Amino acid sequence: MLAIETVELTKRYGALTAVNKLNLQVEANTIHGFLGPNGAGKTTTIKILVGLLKADGGVARIFGQEVRGDKPDVRLRVGYMPELPKFPKHLTGYELLDIYGKMYGMTKQERKEQVPKLLETVGLKNREKDHIGKYSKGMQQRLGIAQALLNNPELVIMDEPSLGLDPVGMVEVREIMKEVAKEGTTVFISSHLLNEVQQVCSHVTIIDRGTALVSDTLTNVSSQLSEAPILMIEVAELTDKVITSLEELPFVSGISRENNKMIIQVNTRDDVRTQVSQAITKSNGVIVSMSLKEQSLEDVFMKLVTTQKEAKKK
Amino acid sequence: MTEVKEKHTRISPSWMTRFSAMVKYELLWNIRKKKFLGIIVVAFALTTLSLVVPVIMYNVMGLPIGQNPDYVIGAGTGLGGLAFFLFAVATVMNSISGEFESGSIVPLLTKPISRTTIFLGKLSAAFLTILAAYTVILVYFAIGGTIIYGPQNNLHLTLLSLIGNIFSTFVWVALVLAIGSISKSSLIAALGGFGVWLATYLIAPIISMFSGQAWILTYVPGTGATGYILGLPGQSPLVPGMAVTTGMDAIGSNLINYLLHPSEEVNFYKTRFGIPLFTDPPLYTEALSIIVFRSVLLTTAYILVFLFVSWFTFKRAQVLE
Repeated sequence: MLAIETVELTKRYGALTAVNKLNLQVEANTIHGFLGPNGAGKTTTIKILVGLLKADGGVARIFGQEVRGDKPDVRLRVGYMPELPKFPKHLTGYELLDIYGKMYGMTKQERKEQVPKLLETVGLKNREKDHIGKYSKGMQQRLGIAQALLNNPELVIMDEPSLGLDPVGMVEVREIMKEVAKEGTTVFISSHLLNEVQQVCSHVTIIDRGTALVSDTLTNVSSQLSEAPILMIEVAELTDKVITSLEELPFVSGISRENNKMIIQVNTRDDVRTQVSQAITKSNGVIVSMSLKEQSLEDVFMKLVTTQKEAKKK
Repeated sequence: MTEVKEKHTRISPSWMTRFSAMVKYELLWNIRKKKFLGIIVVAFALTTLSLVVPVIMYNVMGLPIGQNPDYVIGAGTGLGGLAFFLFAVATVMNSISGEFESGSIVPLLTKPISRTTIFLGKLSAAFLTILAAYTVILVYFAIGGTIIYGPQNNLHLTLLSLIGNIFSTFVWVALVLAIGSISKSSLIAALGGFGVWLATYLIAPIISMFSGQAWILTYVPGTGATGYILGLPGQSPLVPGMAVTTGMDAIGSNLINYLLHPSEEVNFYKTRFGIPLFTDPPLYTEALSIIVFRSVLLTTAYILVFLFVSWFTFKRAQVLE
């Protein structure tokens, strides 16, 4: 089942096309990362999904229901955390969640149980009676997470959830995302922190200039687009014999050396560390350290976006 | 493989549940606004002054204070057009525009509540806030009036003052909301509202002053034209020279006048620099019932038009920031 689906979704701001015939599919019960450079159309897409903006073309659906127009019952199934959320300063954290909870149709008893629990989860328990006007940016961010999870939603959409948080807060948010996903909630997260996406997401979509460049599982995206890994080896003494024995290996495509260190490029995705180790030992070399450098999501992202930009220039 | 639990869709809450949540959201805002609390203090100060100044003046002149059993129903809450405008501005100038300015509109609009319900909730909260403020002031004024001028007649009719004053205030509430919805700026809502108020209270009387006729004032928000029951002041044995204003600010007192004197007629005179020329025959005469009916109708029309503009703009607004 699809939690989110867009078909040829388009949004224009005057002459600028922010979202350009975007086709997006987010499977239910996944943590789906939504990546793209600044101005790629991530926030615009999300705002269309939650009803803050109207699309100029195409269709957006949440759990099969079209989101065009004012559809409160679609939003009943969704929790949304905006980028740098702002809340009414006159309310306390507790009052805000209590009122929002009532809008979701939560009973008084449910709210009494759920609100303190959530405030504790996001680390605002001791500030629940303070007016939001006294909250720091990070605390408002935490409150944003709490209100997005308030109704125990089927889908949580988070726009830059770690923005404004300290490193501890960032780790806590990732843990919360993993927890809610275990509870059966689909998590759709837009983030510029590729490391964050890599750590929590099972699926990823990369967009640029309003168009999806790639959309698949994180593993597939990484393997389809990344180049073969690189071996970084340090030996006690780097001799010509060691180099020759390595060059004779069929999967080695290049070696660069500096003092006793080598960077070996291979043309296979298989783990070849054993063969490399054996070749060095046979040629009387002593390995001090060996590490395999896989390409990160960041490398994939940069490669995709750069390729896209170069293609546009041509 | 991690086991994933199955989610159940929440049952859609009733419209009333969502609406009452919205009213609470807005009411808490209204009563915590410093501007609103400031206006309450000013309103109490003005009411107290209107009660106390005559007492001081009588004492200074060494005269006894006479009994006046119609003082409270004659004066209503003691609040006039400026107070209605200020209450409206303080209550709703940032009801819609403030949400857009602060960004709090984003989480609100993504909750399962329709924009129409949000709008109605905000409007209802404004009504309840103004109702509560005016009721307290009215009770205070009634007690003060009774203490100073002795037992009062027809105190039950002060309810009409309350209804009329709220009605009059809502013309400004609707106007300020409409400007705020269109501009998405609280400052423009307040200044725009003030501009219209100034125009109706200063410019319209100037136009009528130079044209020599005041009927035009009946059709713009404000005090309206002034007419006189039963001819000239002091000539009538029933209600000697009672002044009747036709504007939207006077609905409360006109309703009371109508109930007390249902068959009375009001004479309107040509004016010279705003002063009625009683020596000339009346320009025209209208039944009090017509004046009351027309002011209620016009006020309703103004309120509905401004509210529609406000609702329509809010309903279609996109959140770009």
